Amino acid sequence: MIEEKEIAPFIEGKNISLVASNLKFIDLYAKWDNDPAFRHVSRNFIPISPEAFKKFFEKKQPNPPNEIFLNIWHKKDQKLIGYIAFNHIQWANAIAGIGLVIGEKEYWGKDVGTEAVALFLDYGFNELSFFKITGSMFHVNVGSWRVAEKVGMTREIVLKKQAYVRGEYVDEYQYSMFKDEWQQKRKQFKFLLSNDEVKISE
Amino acid sequence: MEEKNKKIITPFLKGERVDLCPTNVENAERYALWINNPEGRLYARNPLPSSIEEIKKKYGPPGEGMPEEISFEIYHKKDKKPIGLTGFLHINWLNRNANLFINIGEVEYWGRGLAEEVAKLVIQYGFEELNFHKIFTSIFTPNERSLRVAKKIGFVYECTLKEEIFVNGKFVDREKFALFKYDWLNK
Repeated sequence: MIEEKEIAPFIEGKNISLVASNLKFIDLYAKWDNDPAFRHVSRNFIPISPEAFKKFFEKKQPNPPNEIFLNIWHKKDQKLIGYIAFNHIQWANAIAGIGLVIGEKEYWGKDVGTEAVALFLDYGFNELSFFKITGSMFHVNVGSWRVAEKVGMTREIVLKKQAYVRGEYVDEYQYSMFKDEWQQKRKQFKFLLSNDEVKISE
Repeated sequence: MEEKNKKIITPFLKGERVDLCPTNVENAERYALWINNPEGRLYARNPLPSSIEEIKKKYGPPGEGMPEEISFEIYHKKDKKPIGLTGFLHINWLNRNANLFINIGEVEYWGRGLAEEVAKLVIQYGFEELNFHKIFTSIFTPNERSLRVAKKIGFVYECTLKEEIFVNGKFVDREKFALFKYDWLNK
C-alpha cells in the first residue's frame, strides 16, 4: 500500500497529480505491465519482473535524460493508478514520444488518461520547449487512441499490420501534435489554466 | 611543415580556407601544445595545465546521452594541417543554448580572419543542425581581437560580469555576447 507521504507531486492536475518515482512502486509497475488485459494491446510479450524496473530506475540517466517518467496519483482515491513518460526524447529536434499506462483497470474510460496526457503535453511544450510530441499505439488499443483524439492530437500515419496481437496482425497509429496547435487546444482544459494562475502569482 | 603520414581527412563542416573535422586523439600532443600555450591560454582563461591523458579522454569517444560539449579540429586546407580547436561548450539541450569557443592554437595563424570563418561555420551548424535558440560567447577584457570578431559576426552585447576572472595578475571583466537564431537566419 502506497501512502500519501511517499508521494512527491511534480505536476498538479484536477483529479490526478503526476508524481516522482519511488523504488517502492516497482511491484505496481510489474503488476500493470504484466496484466494480460493491458499487455496484449501494448505488445509486452515477454514477462517483466519488479527487479527489471528496479534496475531501470537505479541506472543513472544521462543529462539531459533520454526518458522522463512520472507516476499518476489519483488524488481523491489516494492511489497510484499508472504512469506516463516521454521516451525517445530527441533534444536537438525538440521532439519526443509519449507513453501512457493506466494500470488500474477500473480507471479506464474515466478520462484520467486524457487528463494525464493533457498535463504532460503542457509540460512538454511549455516547460521542456518541445516542438512536436508523438504517440503510437495499435488500433486494438482503443482507449489509447481515444485519449490521443480527445487531447486534439492528429493521426499522422497508419502503419499497416505492424504488430501481431492475439493471433492477428493489427495496424499501428501514430499521432502527433505541434506546439502551436497545443497553445490553442490547451484553452479547453480548465485545470491547465488554473495552473497558469499559480505560475503568474509566483 | 611536412606532413609525415598521409591521413584521411574527414571534414564535417566545409569552409573556404578551413574545414572543421572531428577531433582526433592521435593529435592529442598537438592539442596539448595549443591548450597549454601560455599566450593562447591567457585569452582562453585556462589557468590549469592539461595533461595528454586528460586531453585524450576529453577528445576521445563520447559518453552516453547528449554531449555537453561538441568540438572540432580546425584544419587548414592549403597548409594541410590542424591549426586549432573550436565548438560548443556548456550545451544546454533543454533551453537550446550553448557557448561558442574558438582556439586558433597555431599562433602564426592569428590575425588572418580565420576565426571569423570558423565562427560562421560553427554558428550555422549550431542554429541549423543542432537547433539552438541562442549562442553565447564571452570575452575577457581586454581582448580586442576576439571583440572585433564577435561584433563582425553580429553578436550583441548582453552584459558585463565585473571582475569575473583573474588573468595575468588582476581581476578582469567578462563581457557576454549573444546571438539568436532568428537574427542569424535573417542575416
